[in-house]
Amino acid sequence: MSKKHTRREVLGHAARGTALAGLGGLTGLLWMKANATFAWSINAQRCINSRLGAVGVEVCERCATECVLSLSAVRAVNEFKACGRCYICPAYFQITSAVGSDGLPTEKVCPRDAIKREAIGWIDPDDPANNFYEYTIDETLCNGCGRCVLECKEPAGLGSIRLEVRHDTCLDCNRCAIAQACPEDAFDRPEPT
Amino acid sequence: MEYRLAQRFGGRGFAPHQFRQALRGVAVDGGGRLHAVGDSVVKVFDPDGTLLRQWATGQPGESAAVDDEGRVWVGQDGQVEIFSPEGERVDSRRDPGRLGLVTAVGFGGGDVFLADATARWVRRYGSDGSLLNNIGDQHRKGGFHIPNGVVDFAVDDGGVLHVANPGMHRVERYSPDGTLLGRFGRFDGQDPAGFPGCCNPTNLTVDDQGRVIVSEKAGPRVKVYDPDGELLTVVAAGVFDPGAKNMDLAVDAHGRLYVADTATLEICAFEPTGREATA
Repeated sequence: MSKKHTRREVLGHAARGTALAGLGGLTGLLWMKANATFAWSINAQRCINSRLGAVGVEVCERCATECVLSLSAVRAVNEFKACGRCYICPAYFQITSAVGSDGLPTEKVCPRDAIKREAIGWIDPDDPANNFYEYTIDETLCNGCGRCVLECKEPAGLGSIRLEVRHDTCLDCNRCAIAQACPEDAFDRPEPT
Repeated sequence: MEYRLAQRFGGRGFAPHQFRQALRGVAVDGGGRLHAVGDSVVKVFDPDGTLLRQWATGQPGESAAVDDEGRVWVGQDGQVEIFSPEGERVDSRRDPGRLGLVTAVGFGGGDVFLADATARWVRRYGSDGSLLNNIGDQHRKGGFHIPNGVVDFAVDDGGVLHVANPGMHRVERYSPDGTLLGRFGRFDGQDPAGFPGCCNPTNLTVDDQGRVIVSEKAGPRVKVYDPDGELLTVVAAGVFDPGAKNMDLAVDAHGRLYVADTATLEICAFEPTGREATA
């Protein structure tokens, strides 16, 4: 014969169960917080170098200059599928510099010569404008200064180059020097959801 | 020769004479009326910029042209809609599986030329709608190099096609059968006679004197070349929004030039000044 529970007992069990469940949830949340990976990242829609509509602005190089590492953990990345593979890339060449005898601009954008330009496909040796070119960023040289990102931005380019944090080198500082210096609040560390 | 900015009209907004999101193409008819295509609408303006009428298109319009009968051809994705001068839809052209984004329309010798930005060619169709040949498909790059996503061309009075090939910083001339007849242009970021940036000119038109009028992006400007490719004048620089690109052009019989500012959605009208204007 089953024992009959009083109304008081039922309510007590329910209250204890609810409290236990809440305590378990809180413990789990605290455990997740304690073990979560917070990763610094760059919001391209905020970064002045990549934000659409910010035309004619000066380059912001704080990602290169403010990182505590000798070579910043930020790198430029060229998304090939969005790249126009142009003969004259405004992120590679200083397109307002004088034109040399080869018909190309005489100066480059990257101060560290980190971008490599190579004709790809079936190459026309007689007409260099008749080739596609691949632009690859040497991450051992790039310091994330963002100049190429700014020059690649629409409408001058196609916006295929962006800045990314390299997490294998980023120290994940709690008070990231770049984030503190970023004038656009584009360098942030969103909490995991 | 010189030009002066005579008028701006259109613009971004919700008024009847404005465009909400996009202004893609402009064309003039025999009466000097301007047909502007944007959003999913054709707006017809008189030369003073007064809206005369407007009508909806089936898809967002990418380009516009007016034929000798006054019919308005609107290039779209995969098709062209044809409207009477009053805006009644009278016909359409499709080429399923072949025709892509139509970013320019032109006429010559009874044929219709459609710029197919998906294929990066110009397609030539006969009066019965059959495909006769492609122009630019023999290019080593597989077509015109258009990082901007637009193929633009114009047919001159002699039936020669002038096509912008911005990735190669050139204007190329073709016969209707696709034979390359000549070209002009070179890269130069300092000398205005050259084409700057990664990919210019983006758009062009040809006036009744055979002069080639081009638009460029970053920074946006408009220039006029003689038929041999010699720079005649810079029509305008610093007039357009710095973010404008793929600015379509149209010129009427009096040399009045219309430029579509794709950022402000304004149509800028320029009038030629000086003796050479109608030379």
